[in-house]
Parts: sequence; C-alpha cells; structure tokens
Amino acid sequence: MTAVGPHVFWITSRAAGIAAMMLASGSLGVGVMIRGRGESRRLLGSDVRALHEALSLATLIAITIHGVALLGDAYLHPSPLNIVVPFTGAYRPLWTGLGIVGGWGLAALGLSHYARGRIGAARWRHLHRFIPIFWALGIVHTLGAGTDAEQPWMLIAIGLPAAPALFLLLGRLFGSPEAEPLRQQRAPEPQLSGRRG
Amino acid sequence: MDEVRKLEAKSLARAKSRSRRRRVSTIRSRTIRGSLALFAVLWGVVFVQLASGNDPALSTKHHAERNSAAASPEPTPAEPAREPAPEAEAELDGSEFEVEEAVPEFEEFESEPEFEEAAPEIEEPIVTSSS
Repeated sequence: MTAVGPHVFWITSRAAGIAAMMLASGSLGVGVMIRGRGESRRLLGSDVRALHEALSLATLIAITIHGVALLGDAYLHPSPLNIVVPFTGAYRPLWTGLGIVGGWGLAALGLSHYARGRIGAARWRHLHRFIPIFWALGIVHTLGAGTDAEQPWMLIAIGLPAAPALFLLLGRLFGSPEAEPLRQQRAPEPQLSGRRG
Repeated sequence: MDEVRKLEAKSLARAKSRSRRRRVSTIRSRTIRGSLALFAVLWGVVFVQLASGNDPALSTKHHAERNSAAASPEPTPAEPAREPAPEAEAELDGSEFEVEEAVPEFEEFESEPEFEEAAPEIEEPIVTSSS
C-alpha cells in the first residue's frame, strides 16, 4: 500500500485532465452534429446545442481544475506561470506546453460564443472551425505527458469518445453530400441585392 | 375568430418555449451531474491504482528500489520516484553545501585544548547501574 495523502492534488489533476479530454471529445462530436446540415440538423435542434454548450463549459471547468490542482502538488511544484504560459514548466515542457496551448485555444474559441455579437456570426463560425486543432493538441498532450498514457483503461477512456468524434469530424471535412443543396438554396441572396441596385 | 386563433397561437408558442427551456435546463443539469460522476469515477480509479501500488509513475520507483536493494543491503526509504522540481533539487544542493561547511567546525572543536585536557579525566572507572 502506498500513502495517498501527499498525492491528493496529483490524483485530482490527473482525474480532471482525463475527464476534460473525454468531455472535450463528447462536445466536439455533438458540435459536429450541430454543424451537420439537412435533416439531421432539423431533427436535433436546440437540445443538442444546449448539450454542446454544457459539455464545452464542463470541459473548460475540468481543464481549469487540471491546471490549478497541480499548484498544490509537492513534487512537480509548478508556479502559476508554469501552468499558464506554455513551454515554461520543468516537467516534459514540450508535451505540457502543447497542452497549455490547447487549453487556451479551447477556452478562447469556446467562450467566444458569448461575444458572437461583437465578433460577427460569420467570423465567429470561421474561428470556431479551428477548435478540433486544439482538441488534437489536448490528445497529444495527454498521450505525451500523461502519467497513465500507457495504461489500457486510460487509452480506452480517451479513445472511446474520441473515435466517434474523429469519425464525425472526418465525415464533416471530407464528405458532406447535404452541403451542396443548402448552398444552392442560399444562392438567391445576391440576386435580391442586384434587383435593389 | 382571428383573435381567438391569435391567442391560441400565442399560448401554444409560450408552451413550446416553456417546454424548450425545461428541456435545456434538464440537459444542463444532467450534463453537470454526469461530468461530476465521471470525475468522481476517474478520481477513484487513479486513487485505487495509486493506493494499491500499481501506479505507473510510482512503479518505476519500485524497480529502482528493487535494484538499489539488490545492490546494497541497507534498507531504502519508501519515497516515490517522481522527479522533484528543479527548485527542490536546488534546495537539496544547498543543504549538501551546509553539511560540507559544518565538518571543519567539528574538526576545530575536536582539536581544542580543553577537549584534550578533559580526555584524561575520563580514565577513571565509570560507575554504572549494572556494575
């Protein structure tokens, strides 16, 4: 038996990190479904949007716990700067730095939803498409710096929600047969402006 | 008739928006509960893994302990093998320096004449409880 007392913050950080990755994968999968066009979008509606938002916020909270809990760890003993600024930590700086970049990216692009009015809907939508890059950075960080990265249970926990999210994402990127009809429906807008002129 | 229809449509719209709000709040609360449950389960898994001595970070320490135990008969303290932060290493270096400084002081103390004079006095037989 190992004394667990000194490792409570470490355990908390690890659990929060894994939870964050699982929630992020779930949020990404649901988000891709929202972006899906045609019948699926009409059926899913606001319920899925609410689920996407709730999962995203839960992800950001888990990421925050993941970072803040490390401040209490007596072994790594990072400074607040180390958990906020990428590539400044002593522990596996590259992998940890990538995770910090991913965390900031998810926070910035996720929370930008609430400033959509200022940013502009089209610009916000364009920015929101970069979220999978930061999600991928999180996966890389988990596998590179994660203590449990080689554990089978951990690989299952990360892979189980990530696989469908990746599948949906790839489907969205490379094969969206429903996209063309919708674009054709939206096409008349310039003609209206032409009539006005 | 039109007014009645308008009122019906309004009440229907209100009911729809109410039900939508309810659904959204249900989804949010379920997501929060689910996230907390997920975190608790993961915390428990990591806790059990660590407490049972199967932690991947601490298992390297077990290997190191086994190797050191095989090399030297002296028992090694059961400390985790996680690498300390550079600050901690610096603190260790500082403590080593202090120990090195303390050695000459001890030597000077031994070479003091008072200590040498006191030594012959100890030649007298020591009376103990056993004798």
